[in-house]
Amino acid sequence: MLRTWWSRLAGSVGRDATDDEFDEEARGHLELLTERFVARGLTAEEARYAAQRQFGRLTRLKEDLRARRALPGLDAIARDVRHSVRQLRRTPWFTVAAALTLALGIGASTAVFAVLDTVVLRPLPYPGSDRLMAFRSIDRRGTPHPTSLSYPTFFDFRSGTRVFDRLVCYRGSRFTLTESKPAVQVGGAIVSWDFFPTLGVQPALGRGFVKEEEKAGVHVAVLADSLWRTRFAADRLIVGKSVRINGNQFTVVGVAPRGFQFPIDAPDVQLWTPISQDASVSEYEPLTEQRGARVLDAIGRLKPGVTPEQAQAQMNQLAADLAKRYPDDNKAVPTTLVQPELERLAGTSKAPLLTLLGAVGLVLFIACANVANLLLARATDRAREFALRTALGASRRTLLWQLLIESLVLGMLGAAGGVAIAWGALQALLPLVGDSIPRIAQTSIDGRVLAFCALVAIATSVFFSLAPAVQAGATPPSDALKQEGRNVARGHSRLRGTLVIGQVTLGLVLLVGAELLIASFVYLVRRDPGFKPDHLLTFDIGASDTTTSADQIAFSDRLRERMSALPGVRSAAFGFPLPLQGDEMSVSFDIEERRAAPPDRPHCDIAIVTPGFFKTMGIPVLRGRDFADHDTTEAPRVLVVNEAFAKKYFPGEDVIGKRVESGATNGNEENVLREIVGVVGDAKQLAVSADPDPIYYFPYKQMTWGIGTIVLRTDVPPLQVESAARAGLAELDPLVPMYGIKTGDERAAVAVAIPRFLMTLMASFAVIALVLTAVGLYGVLSYTVARRRREIGVRIALGAGRRAVVGLVMREAMALVVAGLALGAVLASLTARLLERVLFGVRPGDPLVLVAGCVVLVIAGLTAAYLPAARAASVDPMQALRTE
Amino acid sequence: MPKDKSEVLQGTLDLMVLKTLDAMGPLHGYGISRRLEQLSEALLQLNEGTVYASLLRLTQKGWIASAWGASENNRKAKFYSITRAGRRQLARETESWERIAGVIGRVLRLESQR
Repeated sequence: MLRTWWSRLAGSVGRDATDDEFDEEARGHLELLTERFVARGLTAEEARYAAQRQFGRLTRLKEDLRARRALPGLDAIARDVRHSVRQLRRTPWFTVAAALTLALGIGASTAVFAVLDTVVLRPLPYPGSDRLMAFRSIDRRGTPHPTSLSYPTFFDFRSGTRVFDRLVCYRGSRFTLTESKPAVQVGGAIVSWDFFPTLGVQPALGRGFVKEEEKAGVHVAVLADSLWRTRFAADRLIVGKSVRINGNQFTVVGVAPRGFQFPIDAPDVQLWTPISQDASVSEYEPLTEQRGARVLDAIGRLKPGVTPEQAQAQMNQLAADLAKRYPDDNKAVPTTLVQPELERLAGTSKAPLLTLLGAVGLVLFIACANVANLLLARATDRAREFALRTALGASRRTLLWQLLIESLVLGMLGAAGGVAIAWGALQALLPLVGDSIPRIAQTSIDGRVLAFCALVAIATSVFFSLAPAVQAGATPPSDALKQEGRNVARGHSRLRGTLVIGQVTLGLVLLVGAELLIASFVYLVRRDPGFKPDHLLTFDIGASDTTTSADQIAFSDRLRERMSALPGVRSAAFGFPLPLQGDEMSVSFDIEERRAAPPDRPHCDIAIVTPGFFKTMGIPVLRGRDFADHDTTEAPRVLVVNEAFAKKYFPGEDVIGKRVESGATNGNEENVLREIVGVVGDAKQLAVSADPDPIYYFPYKQMTWGIGTIVLRTDVPPLQVESAARAGLAELDPLVPMYGIKTGDERAAVAVAIPRFLMTLMASFAVIALVLTAVGLYGVLSYTVARRRREIGVRIALGAGRRAVVGLVMREAMALVVAGLALGAVLASLTARLLERVLFGVRPGDPLVLVAGCVVLVIAGLTAAYLPAARAASVDPMQALRTE
Repeated sequence: MPKDKSEVLQGTLDLMVLKTLDAMGPLHGYGISRRLEQLSEALLQLNEGTVYASLLRLTQKGWIASAWGASENNRKAKFYSITRAGRRQLARETESWERIAGVIGRVLRLESQR
């Protein structure tokens, strides 16, 4: 059976060859038959005739064979397709307009689907990735939220779990490679030993880590394929070799397979080391022994048959036990969260992307309505053709089939254009987001996306061919023939009017959505970030071989001095984390006047900065003083807080002079009370949040956690001092790499990348929708004016003035627009709520937004109506009356 | 598309063509026609062209194969031969044909005995 179909399919394609073959076969047969009759004594003429009679009618047989060779119907379809292409070529403007409109709609949906597919739908690039679960603690303080784990807590979970086959922890880190000049800084991750087996991945060279390599003092590393190629020239004998990293000799034990990425949301990770890095005893208590230092993310592979819910229940038990056993550190995190890793990565992007997909669906619908409108106009012109064909015996099914095939051909043209548009749109849009959304940079137009595109094209083709099909079927052929399609036209304009109303409705929904996102984006960008991002150069430096804190302080002092002296630089400072970098570090504190048990203490962001940091960043010191060079470990411990901190924790009080004890400790020092000596303005730690967040600052000499990011306030455009800064650094220590060079403006832009992405897409959709709707309205009005030429002629002949005629057309336009707006207002207020989670500084229900949307659509409507109205007013009554 | 009217006849023709190729070895369309004419003693009054429809059906099912060769009078002709799948099919068909023929024969005899 299958074989027959296959051979038939092959037959449908290569028809001409087999036709010729059969001709030759039949000719041979006939000649032999003729010879036979001649041998029996017939004349040549008689023999040929007899042979033909015995063989049967050749043409009929050929047709029969052809039908048998091809798939049933395929031949007919091919004929219809050819016919459609001819029809479409006969009306090139119609075809181009319709195909372009469709291409816009299909292209936009394809682009959005491509992003959604890559970010949300596609499984993670590990075998059996649906069993990989992100594992985190839930911090019950304030709004309960997922949080990281500390090493001791992780070890307890790892040894206590019965639901995970394996549970691994990881944290991002940076490594300086100095085995040859120049030194480079690479992103890396510190992982527990079995991350390869957990992910189900085999190293390309060498091996992964073993359990013993988690012990302090072990220096081993696995390289990413990219690092191995760029830095080590793809040396196949690299395994076992020694490499200098962060001033220590590391043994390379393996190379990851090409394309391997872990964690997925840190694509710059090129190096993995086991947790022995955090177990090394230096002057501090090792990180692996600090139960209060929550720095780890974890991922685990579920045991077969265990559901995420069961896993979470067991892990919650463990967490509750730990909370009892270690109340100081674990009481705040008595529960856990087990969720698919994909959900952790894509969860936050899912809602906005689905919203965009919905928006793009509306655009597609508007585009379809336009094409349906065009087809209706054409169907009116072709009403006579169809009537004639019906009269000649074509069945209604045949005609509908023909219409559908024509739509499908248009749809495929649209799909081809759509793929091109989608590709172009992705090229333009993806750089806007960068790495802000995990995996989005991998978006490409692959087979799945093409399949989606084809599906959309087919679905839309069926949809927009419905309208003309319904009309074509509804008119009795006699009417169409008799009345030159005037009745048909009347029915059509009702349907076309309805389509335009639908377009206006959806157009308003899109417009309101776009306005909200634009308003929100403008709010985010225009609002005071609390510092001055212009004329600011920021960069990071790698750790040098000097590792003691005294050395670090000495080095950073020299560097700060060197940088301040550069021409064009007004001041230089260090800080970590910088504003807009996110809420990187949240640390609890105890207020001297209101002591609380450790788990009940308030907590908020911290940052560690050098003197001059606030001045350099442009953060105003409101009360008290900035840090000074004398704020060392020899002097009293001090803090600076921001205004939000003062208001939240000391409402109505003077915060200067108050003392708090922070959970952050400097090396092996005991916790000490620190006095608040200054209040500074609120600089945003997170760009995409509604409220200013409280934060307290440490002077870097009293909290030596490493060198932060360097910030330079410049008099000249900031990038002009980059090379001088690089040279200055190299003079101090040529082995210290400089990386992550960004201007303050760039940092501000990256921080709002996702809102910008959403806004750009939504605004583009709204513009497309607006143009398409206006074109649709224009089309309908032009058509009515053409149809009512005679009536308008009569009116003018009877003395109607230009204004009255223009008013006639405008009224019709406004009737459609207002009907659409009324429906749209209802729909928009319902759907705007979907955007609530991505909006800042605007309310979805803002009536101003709705009014503005309506005004824009009315203006668009009037513009679209102007030309047809002017045409109506210039109708020459004599001519109009004469033509019919 | 017109529905096949005489499916029984078609099936019979296919079976006969298959049997012919099985018994005679590779043949061209003309040769098959002659053989059928001879066997049916001109009882089966069919247009010889119909044989080609049968040949196409059998080819599509994979029961026969064809190749170009030279005919008796040195003309180019397409020769058809039965495949292994065709032989299996022929055996199946022969068996079921005989069974049905037996049943029908018995039924008809029963009628006449009454």
